[in-house]
Amino acid sequence: MSAITVKNLTISYHKKPAIKGINLSIEQGNVIGIIGPNGAGKSTLLKGILGLLPFDSGDVKIFGRDISELRKRISYIPQREQFDWDFPINVEDVVMMGRYAHLPVIGFPKTQDKEIVEQVLQKVGMNKYSDRQIRNLSGGQQQRIFLARALAQQSDIYFLDEPFVGVDAKTEQAIFNLMKELKDEGKTILVVHHDLGKVLEYFDKLIMINQTLVAYGDAKKIFTTDIIHKTYGGRLTILQKTEELIS
Amino acid sequence: MNFFDTYIIEPLQYEFIQRALVASITIGISCGLIGTYIMLRRMSLIGDALAHAVLPGVVISFMVAGKGELSLFVGAVIAGIVTSLLIGFVNRNSKIKEDASIGIIFTGAFALGVLLVSQLKQVHIDLSSYLFGDVLGVSTGDIILSMIIMFVILLCIILFYKQLLITSFDPTMAMTIGISVTIIHYLLMSLLSMSIVAGLQSVGVVLLVAMLITPPATAYLLTDSLKKILVLSSLLGVLSSVIGLYLSYHFNFSSGASIVLVAVFLFTLAFIFSPKEGLVTKFLRKKESANLVMLEDLIKFAYKFADAKTKEELVRKISAELGYKIGKIQSLVQQVSLKGYISSANGTYKLTAEGIKEALRLIRTHRLWETYIRKENITDIEHVHPEAEKIEHVLPEELVDELDEELGFPEEDPHGSKIPRK
Repeated sequence: MSAITVKNLTISYHKKPAIKGINLSIEQGNVIGIIGPNGAGKSTLLKGILGLLPFDSGDVKIFGRDISELRKRISYIPQREQFDWDFPINVEDVVMMGRYAHLPVIGFPKTQDKEIVEQVLQKVGMNKYSDRQIRNLSGGQQQRIFLARALAQQSDIYFLDEPFVGVDAKTEQAIFNLMKELKDEGKTILVVHHDLGKVLEYFDKLIMINQTLVAYGDAKKIFTTDIIHKTYGGRLTILQKTEELIS
Repeated sequence: MNFFDTYIIEPLQYEFIQRALVASITIGISCGLIGTYIMLRRMSLIGDALAHAVLPGVVISFMVAGKGELSLFVGAVIAGIVTSLLIGFVNRNSKIKEDASIGIIFTGAFALGVLLVSQLKQVHIDLSSYLFGDVLGVSTGDIILSMIIMFVILLCIILFYKQLLITSFDPTMAMTIGISVTIIHYLLMSLLSMSIVAGLQSVGVVLLVAMLITPPATAYLLTDSLKKILVLSSLLGVLSSVIGLYLSYHFNFSSGASIVLVAVFLFTLAFIFSPKEGLVTKFLRKKESANLVMLEDLIKFAYKFADAKTKEELVRKISAELGYKIGKIQSLVQQVSLKGYISSANGTYKLTAEGIKEALRLIRTHRLWETYIRKENITDIEHVHPEAEKIEHVLPEELVDELDEELGFPEEDPHGSKIPRK
């Protein structure tokens, strides 16, 4: 069974379609890059699959079911810049949020949850910093905290939005190793990525997108000059132009 | 009779003071707790707006159900929720941004309230106590109401602590794990409306936002932990209310104004003296780091002039190099020797093994930085030295090691001087 099935998905902001007619069937146990230029709808696709945005049309299924039934089995790592880093919260409390999905509506973290938090912090090499206020961390450390939080969720599908932006080499390596490790455990990892540099190194499969799906398949097969050119083509497509007019 | 008896105990014999005191304490706690979330979610403006917008709710419930704490409460909470729904509705369904839609809705609602008050012929609502508060005039019913409100707020914050935390810090993640950001928002709006009803008694509509925001903001300057902020801001709320109440009693001040001014005074103290963020701390920290730079420079030059025969010769040479007076250098030498970097031997000052290690660390940082900024072409050769002079005092060793590795462990800096190895 596929991990994620997307059928004819269209999502608009203020009547302008951000993505249009996307069809995908994503198998379990892969690291998949979502690649495309700025404004191509990469994050929109990710948020659409996560059920965070209303659809104009289309349908998304996770393991054949509606996402609202499977919240515990997915985790999402948002872009780093959207946070208020002055927020009065320390590393341990941020990572503990990863356990919230497993707690009842009214209920507090148990010893077992605290152990999991400790373990994942160790895994990303941040256990020494558990009392640290998040503002007092480097960019790479901040990114690793959010990785740890996703790991604490113990999900089957991981969604990462631009995890490699503004991190140091050590963190980049840590993210890369984790992606591989999760994949070996049979997890599925979707990564929004805009840099073409290390695409073949990072990803098994690629979703090349620019509003519409340009190509989807094995990275080695579809990461060709022709398809990259189509994806990053620069000029507006006829479709986009007509939409400018009718919106 | 001493001061304490005259000014603190004596007023307590009056029942209206006792009532006002209890009301002040419960209100301080309610507003301090809810205000913490309002501040962290950057909703101060909504706090102000709802405070004004409950007026028509209060008047309408008064018209329908007559005077009574419960009808006042219900009317205010409904008005609060309707207002926040309207603000959200305008915001979502037009290009009007949130601040503008808040401005439109709350002034409109407040104006409607004022108009309704002026139409109340047979009974009189005291608009001025509504606007500016009258904590000395609270009834027993008011007290019971504000105590219930306090317990409801406390209970909700304890039970829904994790939902409130995650929707405040990371609403997107909250949605992905199925926590409804909207439900939590309206829960908070209901609690906010309740704390407004309580707060109206003490400070009134116009100043209410101060009770919601000032104590949490003060607490925020003093600590980095949410739980501590909640506790501290309630305490500050209580403190401001009680001191304000006494001032209002003794000097016949408006109760609302004196409570708010006490809160602002406490904020000012925290702003200046906070151990983490205060102006005094920042000033001291700046002085301390300036001193550290001087001490490190001294160690570096003591290493450079290690061949000086006498103490005087060394001090003179360093003084010429750094441009400080002889006396200043001597006091720096004192400080450095206390740290065990320099000792007195054979009539001159000698760096200890620790001191030499420290000097080499500084030189290594300096020269690696020069190499780095030349390589990256950040500045030309004349300017690398002054840049490195600044950097050598602040770059942590961990980062220097990383820099070293990235540069491929160079032998020499751009001036051809040897870079000391670790």
